[in-house]
Amino acid sequence: MEIRIKGLRKHFVSEGKTIKALDDVDITIPANTIFTLLGPSGCGKTTLLRCIVGLETPDAGEIRIGDEIVWSSSKNIYVPTEKRKLGMVFQTYAIWPHMNVFDNVAYPLQNQKVPKDEIRERVAKTLAFVQLEGYEGRPATNLSGGQQQRVALARALVAEPGVILFDEPLSNLDAKLREETRKELKTFLSELEITAVYVTHDRVEALALSDTIAVMRAGRIIETGEPKKIYFGAESRFVADFIGRANLVPAVVKEQTPAETIVECALGRLACKKAEVSGEVTLCVRPEFIHPQKGAGEERRGNIVRGKIETLIFIGDAYEGEIRCGDILLLARLDPEMDFAPGDAVFFEISSGQCLLVSK
Amino acid sequence: MAQKHRKLTYSLIVLVGFLTVCPVLMLIFGSLSEGLTAFGAFTPDKYIAAYTDPDLFTVLSQTAVFVPGSALLATILALFLAYISTRTDMPFRFLFKIIPIIPMMIPHILFSISWVMLLNPSNGILNLLLRQVFSLEESFLSIYSLPGMIMVEGLLDLPIAYLIIAPAMSSFDVALEESSRVCGAGSFRTLFKITLPVLRPAILAAFILCIIRCLASFAVPSAIGMPGRIYVLATHLYRMVSTGFAADYGKAAAVGVSVLVSSIVLIYVYRHFTSASERFVTISGRGYKPTVIKLKKAKIPVFIILLILSFLLIVLPVLVLIYISLVPYSMVPSAKAFAAMSLKNWTTVLKDPVSLLSLKNSLFLGVFGATLGIVLSTFVAYIIVKVRTKAAGILETLSFLSFSFPGIVIGVGFMWFFVRTPLYATIWALLIGYIATYLPYGIRPLTSAFVQIHSHLEESSLVAGASYLKTFRRVIVPLLTPGLVSGWVLMATMFFRELTLSVILSRPGSEVLAVQILRFSEDGQWGKLSALGIIMILVSTLLVMLVNFIGSKIRPVQ
Repeated sequence: MEIRIKGLRKHFVSEGKTIKALDDVDITIPANTIFTLLGPSGCGKTTLLRCIVGLETPDAGEIRIGDEIVWSSSKNIYVPTEKRKLGMVFQTYAIWPHMNVFDNVAYPLQNQKVPKDEIRERVAKTLAFVQLEGYEGRPATNLSGGQQQRVALARALVAEPGVILFDEPLSNLDAKLREETRKELKTFLSELEITAVYVTHDRVEALALSDTIAVMRAGRIIETGEPKKIYFGAESRFVADFIGRANLVPAVVKEQTPAETIVECALGRLACKKAEVSGEVTLCVRPEFIHPQKGAGEERRGNIVRGKIETLIFIGDAYEGEIRCGDILLLARLDPEMDFAPGDAVFFEISSGQCLLVSK
Repeated sequence: MAQKHRKLTYSLIVLVGFLTVCPVLMLIFGSLSEGLTAFGAFTPDKYIAAYTDPDLFTVLSQTAVFVPGSALLATILALFLAYISTRTDMPFRFLFKIIPIIPMMIPHILFSISWVMLLNPSNGILNLLLRQVFSLEESFLSIYSLPGMIMVEGLLDLPIAYLIIAPAMSSFDVALEESSRVCGAGSFRTLFKITLPVLRPAILAAFILCIIRCLASFAVPSAIGMPGRIYVLATHLYRMVSTGFAADYGKAAAVGVSVLVSSIVLIYVYRHFTSASERFVTISGRGYKPTVIKLKKAKIPVFIILLILSFLLIVLPVLVLIYISLVPYSMVPSAKAFAAMSLKNWTTVLKDPVSLLSLKNSLFLGVFGATLGIVLSTFVAYIIVKVRTKAAGILETLSFLSFSFPGIVIGVGFMWFFVRTPLYATIWALLIGYIATYLPYGIRPLTSAFVQIHSHLEESSLVAGASYLKTFRRVIVPLLTPGLVSGWVLMATMFFRELTLSVILSRPGSEVLAVQILRFSEDGQWGKLSALGIIMILVSTLLVMLVNFIGSKIRPVQ
């Protein structure tokens, strides 16, 4: 089901200060996609999710799920949470400790007054889907973190809702389990015809899971797009910085060629990815695109940057190095087999497609 | 180190073991003996006499109404108050912070008697007032009834139930309720399918603890039940040893054994529920603050209920005592009553040698007894928390056991013991009895204080070059101070107004305040009683304030 949100506003007053948790948010979440709300903590992503599910009441605006308006300030409509027929996985999973796995998963169906035989059948089917066959009688307090997560998912899916909401569902798992569960979740969701709204502050999670990412900041949606577009073609400096590690260098646009934008910056004159910008901008180069070689590279022409290695830190799969180019320190990932030492003069070539220009 | 600890552990086991096991054993031996003087020759006579007593059935059936009734009332009120205070936008919620400390301020016996003064059928002030207003011949409300007893006992046990239920409710993960709503259940269904079942262990724990307290309660049954000829187990026991021609300690012991056994069973049930409750309510740290339920239109009625409760619990008993202490006899507040006010009751009490002696004795027991008790508690708590051996486990069980001891039963047990020692009828008998019965109340705040002192804190002080003594002085004592202060205050206030044990053990010369007040009540000397009662409240409040002040001076700046 498609979710359409118009002019959604929610302000909190805390210790005399007004916090704009949602500042006139307009967004359309297309049906049957995995849509991620990504942003630092306090950006309003969880508030937006809770407004969709109805646990939070906005101050103004309209929320439409499918064909139904579930909240509207102008039309004075409020559909309570329990009538919205959604599924949700909470950050803490919220598995009821006084029930076993079966009762936890059967609960939404019991509320819909589904006949008992059918409940048993559908719970069994859903548990099989999340790979928890035979766990029906297990007390809820007797589950591991990963199992709780799957029970929560089963409970959210069992009533076959059109929309499922996730509130940072992986943040309570340890790093290794988080990676496994993320892959599993991706598989589960791609097998279903369902709209998933996923809230996270973890950029890797967002990139790996989503069809579409919306980056939020201070109650506003800054940018929306596919993971690759957000990573390689971010429009704002904030998004470029938030979605991955980035070297941000102030630059001035000098020339627009048909294929590239030419800028002048502390790294020299560089051809960058074509962008409709002018005047002062920010150049974004990700550390993983920097592949330095020893020497000054005097004979080379084109997008060449020259510098000197300042620090090197071995982190296992790579060296994390800092390259000094004039006043600028560039962060780079270096091949651990390369024989660099601090003080070495280096140069690297970078393709224009990997030089991203974002707003200042 | 370990060697030293072992010695300490074993000596504590012997000491605590003596304090808790001795009265129990003496109770059992006593129940099998002919009488206080004929100890040793075993006979089942007392059991036969006690359990074929025609009164026993009435007593049991009245106990069966009084105890669960009061516990239920206390639990329901506590549930209501805890819900309002943790989950709604009720104004003046600070009132809830006061409720748990009320029992420290107003001794149970005074609270019960103030209700007698208000609602007794012959000259209760409220009854006189109602008779006047509606020109009735007779009072239609009588505190001397089971409902009257249940109401007062329920109000008295409310704080204990609240102290168990409120933390469980505030650590409740609200996502449990929210996910139920997302799953299509309305607020009402969520309350009954999710909220209450998740809280069930805490609610049951509170209920069981209230049952134990009501079973041991003596203030209400003696001040309200006995004048109304409504006997429950506690007063049934008391009647056997205090009235009639020959006090029958054997028969009392025979009944006491059953009361004790049921209390010990109940305390294990309670322990089971508290551990279940901890397993259930596992809060997740991060996450949303509880959504505050907007009371809207219900705000004013709920607020009125809250006001009435705080009025009944705090204001009314004190007001009644002050008023009665100033008037010559029980009369409706009026111009006439105000004209007749004088300090006569106060001057009489302050000249009464027995009242003064009881004040002196209670003060001694409170200050000295609590100090001794807290020293013992500190050692016991240290062993329980820091030394995790089997012997430490035994010590923990032993020290926890007396938590379930009903004062009056344990008093009878101690009686069998002290009568054989020179301690009989001295204040030292009371001192030992008090410490034995109330030891868990001193140990509890200290164990939680010790738990907070992570061994790394001690170790890093040693590594930093401080000696053991210096570590103790600079690190342990400052961190322990809050626990010491709250433990001392708790014990001192409990000792200062102790009634149940004292009513058995106190003899001429070793009178204490609560017993003296009960005597005044039995003689209907309301005026003197009230004056002495107010002195009692003032002194114990001063004591609490003084110790808290000293504690805050010792504590390092935070």
